[in-house]
Amino acid sequence: MPGIWMRITELFRGARLDGELDEEVNLHLQMMEEDFRRRGMSAAEAKAAARREFGGVTHAKEAYRDQRGFPWIESFAKDIRYAMRGLRRSPGFTAAAVLSLALGIGANTAIFSLFHTLMLRMLPVAHPEQLVSIYRTGGWGSGTVSLPLYREIAGRMDLFGGAVATNGVNKVRFTPRPGDRGEYTQREYVSGNYFQVLGIQPAIGRLFNAGDNRVPGGHPLAVLSYDLWRNHFGADPAVLGGTVLVDEQPLMVIGVAAPGFRGVVPERPTEVWVPFMMSHGQVTSPNMWWLQIMARMRPEVPRQRVRAALDVLMQQHLKAIYGETHDTGFRERAMGQRLEIRAGSVGLSMLREHFGKPLSVLLALVALVLLAACTNVANLLLARGAARQKEIALRLSLGATRARLVRQALAETLLIAAAGSAAGIGLAAWGVRAISGFLPEEAGNPFSSAPDLAVLAFTIVISLGSALLFGLGPALRSTSVNPAAGLRSGAVDRAGRPALRRALVVTQVAFSVVLVALAGLFGHSLLAMRSVDLGFRNQSVIAFSLELPRLWKGDFHQAEDQLMNMLAATPGIYSVSCAFPGLFSNGSSSSSIRVPGSERTATEAADIDLAYVAPRYFETIGAALKGRDFDRTDTANAPQVAVVNEAFVREFLPGEAHPESRWLSFDDSKPEGGERTSIVGVVRDIRQNGIQEKVAPRVYVPVAQHHDLTWPPDILVRTVSPPAAVQAAVRRELPHIGSGIAVTDLATIRQRIDNSIFETRLLATLGGFFGVLALLLAAVGLYGVMSYGMAKRAGEIGIRMALGARRADVVGMVLGDALLLVAAGLILGFPLAWAAARAVHSLLFGIDAVDPLAFGGTGGVLIAVALGAAFFPARRAASIDPMRALRHE
Amino acid sequence: MVTYSFWMSTRETKTDILQGTLDLMVLRTLATMGPQHGFGLAQRIQRISGGALDLNQGTLYPALLRLEHRGWIRSRWGVSGNNRRAKFYEITAAGRRQVEKESAEWARTVEIMDRFVRLAETE
Repeated sequence: MPGIWMRITELFRGARLDGELDEEVNLHLQMMEEDFRRRGMSAAEAKAAARREFGGVTHAKEAYRDQRGFPWIESFAKDIRYAMRGLRRSPGFTAAAVLSLALGIGANTAIFSLFHTLMLRMLPVAHPEQLVSIYRTGGWGSGTVSLPLYREIAGRMDLFGGAVATNGVNKVRFTPRPGDRGEYTQREYVSGNYFQVLGIQPAIGRLFNAGDNRVPGGHPLAVLSYDLWRNHFGADPAVLGGTVLVDEQPLMVIGVAAPGFRGVVPERPTEVWVPFMMSHGQVTSPNMWWLQIMARMRPEVPRQRVRAALDVLMQQHLKAIYGETHDTGFRERAMGQRLEIRAGSVGLSMLREHFGKPLSVLLALVALVLLAACTNVANLLLARGAARQKEIALRLSLGATRARLVRQALAETLLIAAAGSAAGIGLAAWGVRAISGFLPEEAGNPFSSAPDLAVLAFTIVISLGSALLFGLGPALRSTSVNPAAGLRSGAVDRAGRPALRRALVVTQVAFSVVLVALAGLFGHSLLAMRSVDLGFRNQSVIAFSLELPRLWKGDFHQAEDQLMNMLAATPGIYSVSCAFPGLFSNGSSSSSIRVPGSERTATEAADIDLAYVAPRYFETIGAALKGRDFDRTDTANAPQVAVVNEAFVREFLPGEAHPESRWLSFDDSKPEGGERTSIVGVVRDIRQNGIQEKVAPRVYVPVAQHHDLTWPPDILVRTVSPPAAVQAAVRRELPHIGSGIAVTDLATIRQRIDNSIFETRLLATLGGFFGVLALLLAAVGLYGVMSYGMAKRAGEIGIRMALGARRADVVGMVLGDALLLVAAGLILGFPLAWAAARAVHSLLFGIDAVDPLAFGGTGGVLIAVALGAAFFPARRAASIDPMRALRHE
Repeated sequence: MVTYSFWMSTRETKTDILQGTLDLMVLRTLATMGPQHGFGLAQRIQRISGGALDLNQGTLYPALLRLEHRGWIRSRWGVSGNNRRAKFYEITAAGRRQVEKESAEWARTVEIMDRFVRLAETE
């Protein structure tokens, strides 16, 4: 294409080409003149005739230039330059507009990047759209299946194109080379067909196949992620065949997965894959529910058929295992389990399970914030357009077309949008860090992956979208000027009708109402959660657990006792105890019991929650106890004792005045029980795992009398020292107890509680932040409209004051006007806020969707903001000197 | 289709240039007469039309640029008959193909219009 190249070169040779054209045209005119003179004209006549024949010289040159290069680029560049000059002249306006947009766009980008990772981004595998997760519901826990069940499902090649199993991603100890300092890595136990079914190729070496996962403990192999290989081994191919220590297991590296593949859990990128047969514990047991399944659907098999086939498969499987169980309650619960088909193309995410909905709400909130920001900028632009009426009228009357003026106005909005999104991307980075701070460590890190093109595209699209949204209206409005009227002196004020601006302010107020009301609801909900009685007082107790080496042969009870004694002797520590399950640590333990004399266990045994605790446990956490706490006399040889909670008494011993006189038995074979366990105390209902938990009957037993724990209990320390000091003290003691023992999850109970309600805290905090933002934007809008209105009505106010109106009347008039706008906004906003509240109802705790406090507060706050924003314009109006105002008129 | 310019009624009536036909005139002229500078080209066009065309000679230059962008003609600076620097335009191979194509199209248009004009006569 010679034309394109020619046009491109023309872009840079404008001045020279202008010279050449002049030369060409002059020559043409000269030759014409000569021609006319040869035909007998005088010099002057020839010159005039040549001009006439040639037509308009300037016009021809202009037409020529318009064709040169890419005319639209040049005029666009000109518009941009013009807009830049204009914006530089009004820095206040520019800063306000760019800042509003930056906040809106930044909030959207931050939330969207999280939303994208958890909800939208397809796994980088072959045909992700075919993937589903097979999710177990009902019964105990959720999602996971046992190895025998997985094998039955994976064997159904008539239903699936392949099914892989994973146990999720866990942070474990990692030693890249023998003798290296221990580090941590993210390990995923997977089935042998994992890579094959997902369609992942090796970067080097080979990946697992079905033969690599047959015998428990028999396949010490590892596949590394590309990132780990690059970061830890400098992408050295010699890593193949070498040995790495993962979770104390020596594993041989056989391959590195293709770059970009980081496992199937979006918020936890896997670094090392290990065949799941290498997992410890009873991997082949039908009672160990530990594997998550991802399956590839066959496009030709209808989902309905798969679902029906899975129902049959599950029922037969459960019947084979639990069909003979005598405990009917247990059997019913077990047989009630189902397999569900869930979407799997985005991966398996625990975070998505309970954060998906709050995240969608946040996305809606930030969309509202962006709309409010756009409204604000539109309002600012209208004000600016009104102030430039004269200039625009002048340019129109000098022959500028309206299209051209609209283009120029849009260039200005485009510049604002560009600056706003650039600043917004910066704010988003900050916002993402702030949000990450709310996520508990076990939630993973959904932000760890590099900036995504989809997120960037989203930002650009919303920026352009908002530029059009806030720019087009004002651009059309401010250029619709009658040049003659616009130029008349004093007409400026009347030219920009303020009705549109007032409507925009009302809209802004309505947006604020929704955002502030939601902030109020989430805030109130958080308060309600915080004020729930958890049954224990000492939330500043520090808890941690010991992580024992995998091949630990010693008795962990002894080790823990030793550590607890050492800590108890440390100054500043009031009491030390331990418990399993720990508080807010998501552990669980249950047992089947009989309570002699109780109706409830007269015909069959009952399941209760069980907790193993050390002496002084209730004192350490600050739980009120009737009867006695466990002490050092409750040894293995002493009579069996138990403490029960109030829910236990309500269910098993209703109306019993002295539960301490009763006993229960862990021998559930007959109604009267076997070996006695005396109840020695009743403790208040303690919410063990969550604020919203419904407390079930629970039996506490001394850890010294029950040595069937497979996991060391959480250690609890009540102290005035900060967690870091306790951690240091524990670290000092650990070498005396045994080598290779590590401390994990050290935090105060309050931090654990915070982590357990991070969604609510995030919603309340971000909701509050967005609410304040919306209020600020509305205040700016109100202030702008009120001051503009006052400037316009200065003459009228002057007359009123001259006729005897007092200052208070003037102030009242202005404030009344502001209240009118807010009232309109409230009327518009409340139904919207109500609908929004209904939509987020399931996320609220302990309050109604129509919460009087939140809604009443919203109205109050907005009225206060309106009065605040209108106060300065009102005072200015009241200080108008009537004489001067009238003279000006 | 053909418009007359009545505002020049004191002079001999001339025909305005039909939209898009100037390109063909330029190309055809360059194809037969060889390289020309702007004035020469205007003169030739006027002469061939028998002085019946109302050519605003200034409009020639944007048209020349347009043809150059399309790759149908090319230009270079040279020396005119009386030793003055001038820009000469010549037709390219693509331009010649274009002339053939447009000439054929034009002939067809004329033929069609001709039938309509005669229709009125035979009725």
